[in-house]
Amino acid sequence: MPDVAPLSWEEVARAYGRKIYNFAYRLTGNADDASDLTQEVLLRVRKGLAGYQPGSFEGWLWRITRNAFLDEVRRRKRRPSAPLPDEIDRVSTHASPAPDQVLSTVRLGEDIQAALLDLPYDFREAVVLCDIVGLSYEEISAAVAAPIGTVRSRIHRGRKMLKERLQ
Amino acid sequence: MTHPGELLSAFLDGELDHRERNQVTEHLGTCSSCADELNGLHFARAAVRSLPLLEAPPGLTPAEDQTARVRTFTRRPPVWVAAAAAAILAFFVGIATILAPPTTLEVRLDQLSDQYGARTSLEPAITPRPPVPVLDRVSGPIE
Repeated sequence: MPDVAPLSWEEVARAYGRKIYNFAYRLTGNADDASDLTQEVLLRVRKGLAGYQPGSFEGWLWRITRNAFLDEVRRRKRRPSAPLPDEIDRVSTHASPAPDQVLSTVRLGEDIQAALLDLPYDFREAVVLCDIVGLSYEEISAAVAAPIGTVRSRIHRGRKMLKERLQ
Repeated sequence: MTHPGELLSAFLDGELDHRERNQVTEHLGTCSSCADELNGLHFARAAVRSLPLLEAPPGLTPAEDQTARVRTFTRRPPVWVAAAAAAILAFFVGIATILAPPTTLEVRLDQLSDQYGARTSLEPAITPRPPVPVLDRVSGPIE
């Protein structure tokens, strides 16, 4: 991954727009929310590129992405016009499938997505940044402003919870 | 070594240093419980990684044709280049003004007469008509 900022906002948007959208989608489970969040992140990137100091571009970009997401969550908490990712009632999606159905359906994307959404936010974020976005532990640490030990713990506990829900 | 616990995910991701990796590898050879846990972590990781990379909706990222336009805008010369160009232009205009022969505006009456007087005489619309005697209009037999 490049360690210097690309020259223009357009290059950043084209190179990372899809990843940002996937990050947002896997955190929210909602295409509209993911689009809104991606737009917000790209706007912030556009504003922030002028002041970007050469360094870990990945860390900088994903820190903006994460902050935009958290700001959006806080904004909706103040004005709850739409359900928050953590408030969506997902009980029905996990209504104890029959044992013989588990193995045949567990790998469907919907089940995995639902299991992801069941994770506490910090665990979900760490797992998504690691396994969907493909960041290293060090890059995740920079993005979420937490020590590497914390990142390691979140990923591990998140995967354990996922395994319990999927198996 | 005690059970590696949270080190297992980092082991799976290749995020341990050489010494830790060796310790975990050695432990896994003798602890079926941790080996099972590692399999479970591997399963969970594979499940998340199997999720498809979705396409972003159209219009969310800039199209190619917009890129060229915006690049032209964002990469225009800086202000100091424009200021320098204006200063150089002003300098040469000043030099040309100083070195150019003086021009005077002479208006001579005979030239104006030749130019406009001749044209006026040829314009039928403004050529004066000969005067008509008023009495001629009422001339006729008086009853």
